[in-house]
Amino acid sequence: MSLKLDYVLRETAGNFRRNITLTLATVITVTISLTLLGAALLFGDAVDNATVRWKDGVEFIVFMDPEISPELEDDIRRQLVDSPEISGFAYIDKDEAYAEVQDLLGDSPELVEVITPERLPASFRVKPADTLPERVDELAAAFRAQPGVARVVTASETIRAIEDLSSGLRQRVIIIAIVLLVAAAVLILNTIRMALFSRRRDIEVMKLVGATNWFIRVPFMFEGLVQGLVGGVIAIPLIWLTNNFFSVINDDVSLELLRGFTVDPSRVWALGFQMVGLGAIVGTVGSGIAVSRFLDT
Amino acid sequence: MIRIENVTKVYKGEVLALQNVSCEVQRGEFVFLVGPSGSGKSTFMRLLSKEEKPDRGRIFVAGKDIGELPNWKVPFLRRNIGCVFQDFKLLPNKTVVQNVAFALEVIGRPRSVIKEKVPAILELVGLSNKMRNYPDELSGGEQQRVSIARAFVNRPLILLADEPTGNLDPNTSLGIMTLLDRINRTGTTVVMATHDRSIVDKMRRRVVELDRGQIVRDQSRGVYA
Repeated sequence: MSLKLDYVLRETAGNFRRNITLTLATVITVTISLTLLGAALLFGDAVDNATVRWKDGVEFIVFMDPEISPELEDDIRRQLVDSPEISGFAYIDKDEAYAEVQDLLGDSPELVEVITPERLPASFRVKPADTLPERVDELAAAFRAQPGVARVVTASETIRAIEDLSSGLRQRVIIIAIVLLVAAAVLILNTIRMALFSRRRDIEVMKLVGATNWFIRVPFMFEGLVQGLVGGVIAIPLIWLTNNFFSVINDDVSLELLRGFTVDPSRVWALGFQMVGLGAIVGTVGSGIAVSRFLDT
Repeated sequence: MIRIENVTKVYKGEVLALQNVSCEVQRGEFVFLVGPSGSGKSTFMRLLSKEEKPDRGRIFVAGKDIGELPNWKVPFLRRNIGCVFQDFKLLPNKTVVQNVAFALEVIGRPRSVIKEKVPAILELVGLSNKMRNYPDELSGGEQQRVSIARAFVNRPLILLADEPTGNLDPNTSLGIMTLLDRINRTGTTVVMATHDRSIVDKMRRRVVELDRGQIVRDQSRGVYA
């Protein structure tokens, strides 16, 4: 092969110098679109992780009236023990609930002061044998009708809400990311065209003396490849930042619902490298198209 | 070396550049292509290096039908054809040496070959003392010598010169003609399109005259008109 690496590197470096602003714009667009795409995929993974945890855990919580009589409470407990449809439950008494609230509102002591254990409801966290949402709803409704029950929260309702929200959000972010990725490809195409235009005399001479199209094309495609790669590499720490944001949600909102809203670090790395690969492909293909159109005319 | 058979070239469906032209040039010949502007001289040249494709007819270069050449092989055809133009087409940001070396570099010649060939060809065209100069530091005649050096450094079979003296004064033009004559004597076929009456009359080589896309005269040891 007659292409020499030092020739390609020299040409590419020269093109970068000539088109520094356009190159920057391209790299930034690649970075933003890849970050968004990566974050959207990561978000989906986090939601999956969060909901998977929930599916084998507590399905609904029965909150008692704070003023409930011990007889009524025993009645409910007996139903939970006797029912074949319930595989297990945990009783959270007023003191435990108070401890959780203290934990939850630890940053606002003035709020904790006004709350006393007496004013908090005790609750049963119930694990039904059959976790089919319809069955859970039926069970929850049965308890909701019981005297002495303040309210029943099914996890499935909340989880479904989260899933709906996240899939809608994820779709939108992916659409935006794809639009941006196309924009990045067009920008790369344009950058290469500018580079080609500023070197049209060189290219004319190259064609004149019999340089092959590939010889002319490769330095420009390499330029697109580098732009895509650099954009992708910058996207990796930004994707990590998104992941950190997830763990902030995880730690701060002590809603048990969101426990497990996190992604394995190896998955984040894998996603990061996938984004770098995607950037490389978009860059190379975009510049390849630009050069081909220039060479054929 | 060159054979053109019944070639017709029409631009944009209406401008008739060449009309049913046939012509043969032997190896080692020196041919002047004369005729008024728009008579088809440049089209004739561009067809030979496949910068244009004929609408009808066939073109053979070195025994090969270039119409059947796939696109990816066209660069290899051009390596056998040196081209010289009225406006030199030198790269302004490269020195004389770099301009000539570029032609070898982009067809993948090893550096050792470039180092040996470039000074030799610059010696031949008489520019050994201007190797590190940029084109804008040279006279028109010197620039044309660089351009000829670049066209000839790869020792092509054919040299196409499209009005190479068009921008030069008569004395300088004579110098360029002496150079082209020397190149021709090495066995290279030279085809030169020109408007320069005094040169054609002085050289007394084969003259092919085009008028409105047709060959109206083909004369060995001819004159301009």
